[in-house]
Amino acid sequence: MSGNPGAILEVRDLATQFDTLDGVVRAVDGVSFDLERGETLGIVGESGCGKSVTALSILRLIPPETGRIAAGSIRFEGEELTTLSEEAMKRLRGHRISMIFQEPMTSLNPVLTVGTQIAENVVRHMGVSKKAARERAREMLDLVRIADSKRRLDEYPHQLSGGMRQRVMIAMALSCDPQVLIADEPTTALDVTIQAQILDLMLDLKEKTGTAIVLITHDLGVVAETSRRVVVMYAGRKVEEAPVEALFDNPLHPYTRGLMRAIPRLDVDAEEGGRRPRLQEIPGMVPLLTRPIVGCAFAARCSLATERCRAEPPPVVDAGGGHTVACWEVTP
Amino acid sequence: MTVLAVDRLVKHFPIHGGLLQRRVGAVKAVDGVNFAIAKGETLGLVGESGCGKSTVGKTILKLIEPTSGRIVLGGEDITALKPGAMWPHRRRIQTIFQDPYSSMNPRLSAGTIVGEPLENFDIARGRERDERVAALFERVGLRPDSMRKYAHEFSGGQRQRLGIAKALSVNPDVIVADEPVSALDVSVQAQVLNLLIDLQEELGLAYLFISHDLAVMRHISHRIAVMYLGRIVELTDKRTLFARPLHPYTEALLSAATAPDPRRQRRKRAIVQGDVPSPAKPPPGCHFHTRCPYAVADCKVKDPPLREVAPGHHVACHLR
Ligand SMILES: Nc1ncnc2c1ncn2[C@@H]1O[C@H](COP(=O)(O)OP(=O)(O)OP(=O)(O)O)[C@@H](O)[C@H]1O
Ligand SMILES: Nc1ncnc2c1ncn2[C@@H]1O[C@H](COP(=O)(O)OP(=O)(O)OP(=O)(O)O)[C@@H](O)[C@H]1O
Ligand code: SF4
Ligand SMILES: [Mg+2]
Ligand SMILES: [Mg+2]
Repeated sequence: MSGNPGAILEVRDLATQFDTLDGVVRAVDGVSFDLERGETLGIVGESGCGKSVTALSILRLIPPETGRIAAGSIRFEGEELTTLSEEAMKRLRGHRISMIFQEPMTSLNPVLTVGTQIAENVVRHMGVSKKAARERAREMLDLVRIADSKRRLDEYPHQLSGGMRQRVMIAMALSCDPQVLIADEPTTALDVTIQAQILDLMLDLKEKTGTAIVLITHDLGVVAETSRRVVVMYAGRKVEEAPVEALFDNPLHPYTRGLMRAIPRLDVDAEEGGRRPRLQEIPGMVPLLTRPIVGCAFAARCSLATERCRAEPPPVVDAGGGHTVACWEVTP
Repeated sequence: MTVLAVDRLVKHFPIHGGLLQRRVGAVKAVDGVNFAIAKGETLGLVGESGCGKSTVGKTILKLIEPTSGRIVLGGEDITALKPGAMWPHRRRIQTIFQDPYSSMNPRLSAGTIVGEPLENFDIARGRERDERVAALFERVGLRPDSMRKYAHEFSGGQRQRLGIAKALSVNPDVIVADEPVSALDVSVQAQVLNLLIDLQEELGLAYLFISHDLAVMRHISHRIAVMYLGRIVELTDKRTLFARPLHPYTEALLSAATAPDPRRQRRKRAIVQGDVPSPAKPPPGCHFHTRCPYAVADCKVKDPPLREVAPGHHVACHLR
């Protein structure tokens, strides 16, 4: 079944659902993409469109009490992950595939020092002594540019600033030289200078160890400068995929176009006649994910939408050069 | 009209060490900060990670006690108020957090979370509360029918909107917004920023807006304060700051920010070279001298005071 020999990770028709009081939430609804060895793939999309759930599905971290991977396949080095035993998953996680979580405060353990948390992961996967693991932890804190790393090792997460916590997560994720790194908004809490250093660090790692990176972010600037290809998601589906230059030069999907227009600009004077101008919004709201979406998920907010858009799901159209888009009205 | 002012605000966190866990030093998170915010005004606060922005915010909110200095809200000194005396003032100053999830009770529905302050401050109960919460949900772009959901059923960005709805619920005078849009994609960010601006113009809200995104800052702020290692190094209106930054750190910060462009060589944006000094051992003299390309001998020994070099333009640098 495996199609793409260059791919280290192949996601096919992934559907992940949650049971809630209001019914079944189709958080991810048939998403496919490949991650090639050593590449950086960006994933962008509206808040709530299923980016984090996609990432958590790959690591099989969907809470089993309420959620499940309902359909599809995830292959890592050709091996199917959706059916792998929990034991085997544990050996992969934090080691061969590791993840930087979106909300560091909820994924760091509040009662353990950050040094202990990083070192534990190193001991578990690299089989080194506690002392060596602690040294490794300190090295990692230096790498992510936390000053005074020796003292910081013994601090608890609440004693760190937001950006420092995020960097601790990054240190932990990188500590075991993963083959695939899934970074969910890794630099959102960081200022531009440290953000640049962290991105450099991730890209250096990629060059040195061939780590492939899935970079989930809403920062189109970060995507522009780090990713080779970009997947755009909307309401649990992939609506566009393109090489990064093509996406910025010629965004095709109406949602992607709206996204590009919403970026606040640094280069234009933000003040016209003393008033702050409005940013361009995409009017409307994401559809409820508890009802099956007939037609195009973006139809309710799209200025180009027709009857057909509301009735039938749009086919994926190939615009050439690896650029694909799911839209009835856009002809590449 | 000034609604909020801080005067020589200082917050040091003790460092304990050794066998007896004795106090061996202090993290000088905030080291003498002054500013004032007027009704209807947004003061932006930018600066490197760990420079003390959130600590300034938390001290103003009285979530932590300042080591010294004064916090004046609506003309009244609230610095030393005990919880009981502070209560009537609490409503007037609300917050939007950087990490909304950790501040939300996972067992409560989203509607209950947003409506909590309405009950706490005895503003509305029962049906009236529910109606107001539903209106708040709509105001921030959430579906009112999602009031029954739990916080974990929302995406990161949706949770941020819950936080905004909650902060707005009690009609505050001042909102301390700590990275309120950094978890949002740009289209939702646009909605939230537009919303914050609309609300400000409608209600005369004052914002202390903490963010590291300079484009966002430029969009929403009237004036901007730049912090470095616990101190404000530059403070002026945003137009002047972007057109004519005077402090070397501001200069470096602004030159690091550019518009998204996939063709530009991966920028070596890390223009501020050198390691971030530790706030437990800030460099003597100007805190920035270890990384400043212009530093002269004086910078290593003398503290540059924050001086007004042009009307409304304050800078702390020996060379300006
Ligand atoms: N445990 C859960 N139970 C129920 N619904 C959930 C759960 N986790 C996520 N969801 C829902 O799944 C959808 C996708 O959420 P996800 O966190 O993947 O969004 P996202 O794209 O990462 O958004 P953001 O950019 O805001 O982080 C959302 O509508 C969310 O409400
Ligand atoms: N409760 C605490 N105990 C000890 N130290 C603390 C505490 N809270 C903050 N600090 C320290 O104070 C300094 C300033 O932290 P603060 O959270 O204010 O930074 P920040 O400017 O908001 O950074 P970021 O942009 O990363 O959020 C940091 O060195 C941090 O480790
Ligand atoms: S005071 Fe000196 S070290 Fe500090 S910013 Fe100015 S020139 Fe640089
Ligand atoms: Mg997410
Ligand atoms: Mg902070």
